[in-house]
Amino acid sequence: MSKITIPLGPQHPALKEPGNFLLVLEGEQIVGATVRLGYNHRGIEKACEDRSYIQDLYLIERVCGICSHSHTTCFCMAAEDAAKVEVPKRAQAIRVLVGELERIHSHLLWLGVAGHEIGFDTLFMYAWKDREQVMDCLEMISGNRVHYSINTIGGVRRDITPEQAAEILKRVDLLEERTKYYIKLATEEPTLIARVEGVGLLPTEEAHKRGAVGPTARGSNVPRDVRKDDPHLIYEELDFQVITSGACDVFGRLYVRVFELLESFKIIRQVLKSLPEGPIVAKVPRKIPPGEGVGHYEAPRGEDIHYVRSNGSEKPERVKVRAPSLANFSSVAYMLEGGYLADAPIVIAAIDPCFSCTDRAILVKDQSGRDLTLDWEDLRRRGIEFYRHRGLDFSRIA
Amino acid sequence: MSSNPMLNKLVNWSRIKSPWILHFNSGACNACDIEVLDALTPRFDLERFGVLLKATPRHADVMVACGPVTRQVAFRMRRIYDQMAEPKFVVAVGTCACTGGVFNGCYSVLGGVDKILPVSAYIPGCPVRPEAVIDGVVKLLSSLKQ
Amino acid sequence: MAGVRTEEEIKEILEKRFGTILSNWVIQRKRRIYVDVPRENLVEVVGFARRELGFDHLGTITGLDGGEYLEFLYHLSNQGLLLSLRTKAPVSDPRVQTILHLFPGAEPYERELEDMLGAKVEGLPPGRHYPLPDDWPQGQHPLKKNWKVSDAYPAEV
Repeated sequence: MSKITIPLGPQHPALKEPGNFLLVLEGEQIVGATVRLGYNHRGIEKACEDRSYIQDLYLIERVCGICSHSHTTCFCMAAEDAAKVEVPKRAQAIRVLVGELERIHSHLLWLGVAGHEIGFDTLFMYAWKDREQVMDCLEMISGNRVHYSINTIGGVRRDITPEQAAEILKRVDLLEERTKYYIKLATEEPTLIARVEGVGLLPTEEAHKRGAVGPTARGSNVPRDVRKDDPHLIYEELDFQVITSGACDVFGRLYVRVFELLESFKIIRQVLKSLPEGPIVAKVPRKIPPGEGVGHYEAPRGEDIHYVRSNGSEKPERVKVRAPSLANFSSVAYMLEGGYLADAPIVIAAIDPCFSCTDRAILVKDQSGRDLTLDWEDLRRRGIEFYRHRGLDFSRIA
Repeated sequence: MSSNPMLNKLVNWSRIKSPWILHFNSGACNACDIEVLDALTPRFDLERFGVLLKATPRHADVMVACGPVTRQVAFRMRRIYDQMAEPKFVVAVGTCACTGGVFNGCYSVLGGVDKILPVSAYIPGCPVRPEAVIDGVVKLLSSLKQ
Repeated sequence: MAGVRTEEEIKEILEKRFGTILSNWVIQRKRRIYVDVPRENLVEVVGFARRELGFDHLGTITGLDGGEYLEFLYHLSNQGLLLSLRTKAPVSDPRVQTILHLFPGAEPYERELEDMLGAKVEGLPPGRHYPLPDDWPQGQHPLKKNWKVSDAYPAEV
């Protein structure tokens, strides 16, 4: 059987360090995979040096539209360390509240996207409809569905009223009911399980060695979670579990995300039940004296790490952003090799790269040098057809 | 208005009632992309207007562009636009697609979509709201019908 | 993996092993240590931290333009305790050794040092740019302090 090389190039480059994956096929199996990154590069770090810390908040927020709060919180923590500023407890609690709401929206988004990738569009519609509950909460608190801009250096910009708290709790109850349905699906629906079990294997040792983070790592039994490892904000005082799975495959990553939703509901209830009194922001000078800080935060996709160096002026000397997905890319190449081409979309989607990463064009060259153009949609459909012929058909599920 | 050559082209164009859109992300943070996709989900339901999301340029009438145009993507974006059949339109969705947004001045960013393509409609917002996407698309369609 | 020690314990063990090779110790707060390492000792210290002290995760590598020299910060993590090793290389000779054999995930971080600051990471296998595009003009390093867009694209300004 002749070898075919498929470069999975981005038609739609996106924020989360999206892939150009080069796949070498033998028949339907992937025998080699290399990853090429960098299509989303916008020059944010350089731009940060030319703007004040407050202006940088709005830039850093837009590193990613799915976990923007994670990035600003991480940035603030780094800057606050450099400025040697203590953030008031109430502000930290509000940061946690928004952070967990963000985690919920992100995981539900992922659930929908994953469903779409394997042909389970009903799941996509359900998950994104439920997600609207969270978007409403975030809009209520902050004024925007996305890019909530709740953070400022030293604390948060807006407070939570008791009415808002009550409304959030109501919706959390609703979402918990819905999540139970997703858990049932994830653990009992045979068609879904068959599509994700044994797919995208990443043994614990490899996950460890390659520096995997977030649900990708936890789905391979690596119990890394910055909320427990480097407790920031008020996580040390909260009661919640780190969810891991020994499955080491896409099912494991699905399991972790779905059960993490439950933990997030738990956290939100605790935070709202005992929201600390006090101010919501500490005074921070406009010019931050020379210093440095490393921000460390558990974003929905995993460990987010920011470094800030201040130089006594109102603009930072240096801002470094390492978003979580970048840490997972070394693992993706490993996961793709030995698997079927039909599984490529869900394996790549399972590390939860940016949504737009899923829109990619693929160029296929065969041995005679002929050029065929496939796009991601075709690859996705091929995968769905491949499995439909093997009896896995989501159109039969309500 | 009937002297408008473009409108004459459109007279027999049945797709005006149900445009097929190609979504293109030219280097964005994904917020707009997701809000555009959200417009297709049950709460907002763009599909009731007959709007369908297409994957290949050849079948699309409207390119919905999100994000500032980065250097890496400019050439590819132009190529994809060229592959679309006439009549075709470009909608710049989100502040970044309109003007470059917060990324204006970044060395890797050329600016808004109109730096490289002719834009028919601008929908501002950071990100856009799904309602604004629907509003913008419907306005574009109505303006063409006239 | 060794149990998580305190910041002072980690400093003590490293000082015992490396003495005055390490300098400018700063224990900023809980779980934040910074220390300077000469570049010729970097790989050894990173290896020791990984093997003996449980620093089994590389968060990222931050590169900075310090004017006469380039500064590199290697942010190592032991279950959330961050040890940032600082090393410098003169701009006239911006070389640093790779740590890819210790941390396979370091590749994009090391390539970034080359692309953005003009560093030369010895031992890094040849490969494509990251994060800059393939057709980025040679010798243009955006994170250098005196670099402007017009340096790479004069026609645009």
